[in-house]
Amino acid sequence: MGAIRIALARLRALFRRDATTDEIREELNFHVEMRTDEYARDGLEPRAARQAALRRFGNLAVIQDRGYDVRGGGVMEDVLQDVKYSVRQMAHQPSFALLAGLTLALGIGVSTALFSVIDAALLRPLPYPHPEELVTIDVEETSGGKPSRYVPSMSDIRTWRGLTAILSHVGAGRVSGFVPLIVETGNPQRLVVGEASEDFLETYGLSPVLGRGFHLDDMSPGAPAVVLLGHAFWQTEFGGDRNVLGREVRLQDRPATIVGVLPAGFYQKTAVWQPRQLSAAMADRRATGTPVVARLRPGVTIAQAQAALDAVTTSSALSGPKPGPTRVLIDSMYDDETRDFGTTIRSLSMAVGLILLIACVNVAGLMLARGATRDVELAIRAAIGAGRGRLVRQLLTESLLLALAGALVGVLIAYASLDSLVALIPLSLPPNSPVEINATVLAFSLGLTVATALLFGLVPSLKLSRAPRMISSMLTVAGRGGAPLSKRAGQWLIGLEVALALVLMTGAGLVLRSFAKLVSLDLGFDTENVLTLEVEPLEQVASVRRQYYASLTDAVRQIPEVTAAGAIDHSALTGGSSFGFVKADTGVQVGGPQRTVLPGYFEAMAVRPLSGRLFNDADRRSGDVVIANAAASQQYFDGSAVGHTVQIGMKNARVARIVGVVPNILHGGPQGRVRSELYVLPDPNDAQATWLRLAMVMRLREGASLTTDRLKQIAESLGPRVLVGRVTPASSFVSEQVSRPKHRMLLLTLLAMFGLLLTLVGIFSMTAYAVARRTREIGVRVAFGARPGQVVRVMILDAVWPVVLGLGTGLVGTYYATRVIASFLFRTTPHDSMTLVAVVAVLGAAASVAAWLPARRAASVDPVAALRAD
Amino acid sequence: MPHATNSDQLHGTLDMLVLKILEAGPLHGYAIAVRLERMSKDVLSVEEGSLYPALYRMERRGWLGSAWSVTDTGRRARFYKLTKGGRAQLDAERASWLRLTTAVADVLNG
Repeated sequence: MGAIRIALARLRALFRRDATTDEIREELNFHVEMRTDEYARDGLEPRAARQAALRRFGNLAVIQDRGYDVRGGGVMEDVLQDVKYSVRQMAHQPSFALLAGLTLALGIGVSTALFSVIDAALLRPLPYPHPEELVTIDVEETSGGKPSRYVPSMSDIRTWRGLTAILSHVGAGRVSGFVPLIVETGNPQRLVVGEASEDFLETYGLSPVLGRGFHLDDMSPGAPAVVLLGHAFWQTEFGGDRNVLGREVRLQDRPATIVGVLPAGFYQKTAVWQPRQLSAAMADRRATGTPVVARLRPGVTIAQAQAALDAVTTSSALSGPKPGPTRVLIDSMYDDETRDFGTTIRSLSMAVGLILLIACVNVAGLMLARGATRDVELAIRAAIGAGRGRLVRQLLTESLLLALAGALVGVLIAYASLDSLVALIPLSLPPNSPVEINATVLAFSLGLTVATALLFGLVPSLKLSRAPRMISSMLTVAGRGGAPLSKRAGQWLIGLEVALALVLMTGAGLVLRSFAKLVSLDLGFDTENVLTLEVEPLEQVASVRRQYYASLTDAVRQIPEVTAAGAIDHSALTGGSSFGFVKADTGVQVGGPQRTVLPGYFEAMAVRPLSGRLFNDADRRSGDVVIANAAASQQYFDGSAVGHTVQIGMKNARVARIVGVVPNILHGGPQGRVRSELYVLPDPNDAQATWLRLAMVMRLREGASLTTDRLKQIAESLGPRVLVGRVTPASSFVSEQVSRPKHRMLLLTLLAMFGLLLTLVGIFSMTAYAVARRTREIGVRVAFGARPGQVVRVMILDAVWPVVLGLGTGLVGTYYATRVIASFLFRTTPHDSMTLVAVVAVLGAAASVAAWLPARRAASVDPVAALRAD
Repeated sequence: MPHATNSDQLHGTLDMLVLKILEAGPLHGYAIAVRLERMSKDVLSVEEGSLYPALYRMERRGWLGSAWSVTDTGRRARFYKLTKGGRAQLDAERASWLRLTTAVADVLNG
């Protein structure tokens, strides 16, 4: 031992040549010389005197080295040496470095990217300057003791505008949500058109990029028709032409002049804005459906604004003859925007938080495991003269190097995964404000993981410091695993990790199960091989439209690839419907969606009648037959609707006979409600039905396809000028309905799998650590006759107990945590026992395997080798 | 193992002795060692040299200051002297020692 120590110390001294070293050497030499002189005076020979002095002094090289450690002359040199040593250490155990580094990298990368997206969604939902000042205003009137909330009138707005100390801007605007309007700039299209009052754009803090906004003058009914172009529409339709001002567009067949172009990102989907022209009577009317937005003066609270507006607001005709109190209600636009996806954000934050925690626990476990195998090495280094500070620095350097490498890769992962995450997360992120990696978030996850790595990386040095005396004993004891503290630490970590993983996996499991139920639900129709075509004549004449759709159906049926064709209300494609009441011959009012169809629709959707018959082409002429769905038949006709008559229509009521009952069809997708529905045919005598707008629905032969151009050509060849919209597979409407749940499911499943993987890595490494620590104990047991199987069982039990405890703790946590996602779940309770059982089984089994693999190694311990190891 | 001398108690004793020795005035390492020897046979019984890491440590803690100077015999040597902090430390050690001995005396006499 001694010889090695001295040799190593000399070696170290050799490499340390600087001023401090020289000083120390000179000082020590002085001492030895003084002592030599003293011995010489006592009568010793010079040679013998020097020998005696040196012996008395102790080992020069070692003391010089220890002195150097204290004086800390060459910090930079030490750091460099530590780094070199660390790199060499990691190269020795690449699996450890890789595991720990990857855990860190993935933990940091995934959590940073996700939290950045969440943060963007939470903090920047409104891409406008000072979004916190933006509010929506409603008026609450009380009639007969019942308060109702209405949209304020234009006159209200103009009154409030006088309160300049409270509001800086106030305006009203809306987009034609349900029915896009026909806009013609050469070729007609149905587009989203907005309607805005004066000061609307200014409220948002925006100004046109070209031309002007709307003025008060534009709002009077007789004013010249003007429009503003949305930025995207200006780009696609006019190629971003800056000379577009003064040109004309046709809006619902009426000309209007372009006076301005709006900035990008403002109501992206709205092509054109027109002024909100109201007659004096209309301007006084509330409840028009056009929301009012306003901007508070900086520092004005919602309560202050409410009080100020209340004072100048009176009740209107809506309150009836005996008006109750009228109040102004103001809501922060920011709060409204974020409330909608609060559940998504909460559940994602929770999942990401769990991942980050699991990653931290993992890093802790890996660092502990690694430290355990280094007791001997550290003890030796301490023995050959490395000061404690020096060893701590070495450990710190290693952990820091690992953490930095992991962090670097983590940041790369965060940047690389950001875009795909944004695409995957079902949040309505603000347009035109790209999500960026958030520095605070990055600092947080970096700090947390790196701190964990450093903290647990230092654990071995704690043992060293407990008593320097232990260093020597450790040299002989090392490997016997006499430290119960670290064994328990490993078990704690396993238990904690399992609990965290259970919560995460149960959440994902519930969402997964809910999604499976969602997509496997029978919608009542078959969308495979079904195409829809949106088309309509430009002419707003009822008979023209009716005739057009009838001829188009016939024309489409002539296509060889088409096996059946019909049509349905355009709104059915997007899950909407026109709602109404009809009077039945039994005297009851039959309520629910009324869908206008053309014969052939049910055949195209592969719907068979439950009783009676479907429509046939002969019915088109009379239009006096109706088909009910099963729900309507059950609710209003005791299950036998066929043969009853109903009175449909308000002004030109016609009597129609129910000829058939079809199964309930979920037009609105799996999340829609089953309602009582009636299917009616267009009234051949109704001249008012200028709104008739159908979508062709056609079933193709198996494997056949039709090009959009071919359909368009047929649609345009029938006479009237038409507007051809999209050609879409019917299945895409269903998949649109489930795209949010699908993204949610995918994301959470990915996160859960990731969490599980991390957990398994953790359990594996911590069990491996326990086995490594107890090699000698195992050797003793085997030497005393324990069979390998028994040894493995002991090792596995040590790992399985924490798993079981973790599962128990996790179940309790799950009970509370899954409530967060309750609103996501489709026909699944947050305490779904099947999901819980499955998750516990999977996690328990996987954890046991992760524990068993390294524990198996214990069986192969050679008792002789284990005992002789020291 | 020689490191056994490094236990905390001996550390503390060595520190206190060195402070006490330097209270009288600046000395170089060898002179300190000689005086230590006179005061206590144990502290440096094994390796005289371990005095130096201890001196560096105390210097680092701010108890000692050091400078190169020339001895009476004209040789270059590093001299140590007590700093303000060192003096305070010595007083603190003395006070706590006094407390301990008083307590022990009380127990023995009581």
